[in-house]
Amino acid sequence: MSLFGTTSKFGSNGSSVGTFGSAAADHHNPMKDIEVTSSPDDSIGCLSFSPASLPGNFLVAGSWANDVRCWEVQDNGQTVPKAQHIHAGPVLGVCWSDDGSKVFTASCDKTAKMWDLNSNLAIQIAQHDAPIKTVHWIKASNYRCVMTGSWDRTLKFWDTRSSNPVMALQLPERCYCADVVYPMAVVATARRGLIVYQLENQPSEVRRVESSLKFQNRCVAIFKDKHHKPNGFALGSIEGKIAFHYLNVPNSVKDSFTFKCHRSNRANSSGSQDIYAVNGMAFHPIHGTLATVGSDGRFNFWDKDGRAKLKTSEPLDQPISACCFNHNGNIFAYASSYDWSKGHEFYNPKRKNYIFLRNAAEELKPRNGK
Amino acid sequence: MTVCQFFLQGRCRFGDRCWNEHPGARGAGGARPPPASQQLSASNRRGWNASSQRYSNVIQPSSFSRSTPWGGSRGPDQASFGSSTGSGFGAAQRPFASLSSGDQDEQKLLEGIVKDVEVWESSGQWMFSAYSPLKTQPPVAGFTDISPEELRLEYHNFLTSNNLQSYLNSVQQLITQWKNRINQLKTINKSNRVALLPNLNNGVNQAAPALGFGSTQARMFGSSGSSKSVQNFSFKTSPGFAPATSGSPSVFGTLPALGAVPSAGSAVSASTPAFGFGKPQITSAASFSFKTPAASGFGSAGFSAAPTSLAGSPFGAAMALAFGGGTSVAGFGSPGSQSHTAFSKPSNNIFGSSSIPTSLPVSNVISATDKVLFTPKDQLTQEELEQFQSKKFTLGKIPLKPPPVELIHI
Repeated sequence: MSLFGTTSKFGSNGSSVGTFGSAAADHHNPMKDIEVTSSPDDSIGCLSFSPASLPGNFLVAGSWANDVRCWEVQDNGQTVPKAQHIHAGPVLGVCWSDDGSKVFTASCDKTAKMWDLNSNLAIQIAQHDAPIKTVHWIKASNYRCVMTGSWDRTLKFWDTRSSNPVMALQLPERCYCADVVYPMAVVATARRGLIVYQLENQPSEVRRVESSLKFQNRCVAIFKDKHHKPNGFALGSIEGKIAFHYLNVPNSVKDSFTFKCHRSNRANSSGSQDIYAVNGMAFHPIHGTLATVGSDGRFNFWDKDGRAKLKTSEPLDQPISACCFNHNGNIFAYASSYDWSKGHEFYNPKRKNYIFLRNAAEELKPRNGK
Repeated sequence: MTVCQFFLQGRCRFGDRCWNEHPGARGAGGARPPPASQQLSASNRRGWNASSQRYSNVIQPSSFSRSTPWGGSRGPDQASFGSSTGSGFGAAQRPFASLSSGDQDEQKLLEGIVKDVEVWESSGQWMFSAYSPLKTQPPVAGFTDISPEELRLEYHNFLTSNNLQSYLNSVQQLITQWKNRINQLKTINKSNRVALLPNLNNGVNQAAPALGFGSTQARMFGSSGSSKSVQNFSFKTSPGFAPATSGSPSVFGTLPALGAVPSAGSAVSASTPAFGFGKPQITSAASFSFKTPAASGFGSAGFSAAPTSLAGSPFGAAMALAFGGGTSVAGFGSPGSQSHTAFSKPSNNIFGSSSIPTSLPVSNVISATDKVLFTPKDQLTQEELEQFQSKKFTLGKIPLKPPPVELIHI
């Protein structure tokens, strides 16, 4: 059943936790989390868990080795590789359809593919003029489509049956990250662009938001209010800062705030710090608390309503490039691999890339008192 | 109400709080921060007889008004005098107010930029990022936004085509560009605000480094065989910037916004205190005599205040940078090379010559963002027309609109 060809460490690893971290200076898994077997050979660009409609938990990861891998995560923590499919270029975005039968993958080969897991067939459903960075599935009351954001400055919507997009929207700059929680979608572009869309009836731009951060946008995630309606989003930048923007709220300007994260104080000088980019963010589906991962190799959990930090992890020896929660928030997955934050000199192709799974049911409960 | 004599002379200490009438400029006098002694007087007021004027060690204005020759008779002539000169003096007061507060804000902004840049450099933060000193403003020119993924993709593409050296070269070039820009911004201060001005035409200025890089690399990229990556890596900004240059009026449309932030505007105000950048109003008469040359051409930009003669090195450089794509400090010659529609109307002669008759008024009507540099003759009142045609402006009658094209002598 070794579908992963040459790289299978399939038999050897399993989900053993104890053998790792015991070496003297090995910090690849300081949090002693479960390591996913047969992890990709190159940096992991994106992670996504299956939706609730699929029984069990399935994790897909896209990597810079041009492949997309799928594992089944069993309740005892064991991960079983299931399938993979290959693109012609590094895979930058993955997303599941709402019924859990298809996975959409977006790649630097300027295409996005729909991967049917039952038949293990992947067909191309989207085409852009430049690498596609984000892919999201939209399920509206009257339509279903795939939204792709690309470096060619367009946002296109595809009905998977036709080779022409049902809609194409122009972006002011290259799309760097996006998030969709129906009926809201947020796209963050280069040069600090931020656009909010509403998806009811048909996608249309609602407004352009002024970014509260001074530097390049890196990742964005929409959060919901207690009625599970999207009411704002969090934006992470390369500057180790996260901004919360509330939308559709009476005093949205007052409630929006920014905070610093993923920075480290240097031992010698008290003033200067190392500043790391925030590579990924995910909101816990039940608690609404936020997890962020950064180039410093740490992950943090935050409570935005209580404005408190719930947990900081120990630093891993590599940056953490992606993260996501499973549908019920019990599992937090994060990928440890090089994110190019220090350029090509620090790239070691031989370095192993990991995906870790952590039990997230308890640690992400919000602080009481708010 | 008695007319305040100090206000008429332009030196009322009470400003808004003055108990006498400040004819003409309602807000003008108030813009001046009252001196500290007035604060004292305000609080003292409670302890004193309410009917008495504010008492402090400041001599009250009303007592003076009684003893002056104009005292007593508050006839219509008085009112007209007040009103006719009010506008002149009122306007004269305001630029000073803006100077003090605008300068402070700008100073803070510059300090903020220096700090940000130092942190950026020392912290190991990702270099290739857009940067905005104030969150509400568009990014400062000279910084290109490249995400780590884009850079990495380039690396992989070059790797597969065995052309890694050109990737390394281009990265090195990017890094040196970034370092240079950082160093420029680190030394930014009042006299060196050139780096901020490109903020205004960020689109245009970005074109210079980006395209330059893109085009020289284009050959290398082309040779690597992955022509598709060319578009990706040469910032795809060339199409993006063509509209930017032709749409530069819209860039200058941002000037009012920028002017609203007094910071950037005081590029002008530093050397020419009389001009409140972004304040659509007439400056004091004193400035007219030597500010007018080369002014009209800049109309909407508000840089109209800067004649070449006055442009000392900072300002001359500032102008050049704003219009010259950021590289040349050639005075005003460079704008001609760019296709700025805002400046296409006046010929380069205006920029070069400094011997323009003083009949040209300063036209810093920033509101003309739709690039109406000159008013058509029929829109001027008779009085304004007379003013434009006379040799010098008369105080109190200085037109608020830019002159018609016909009256400009080059």
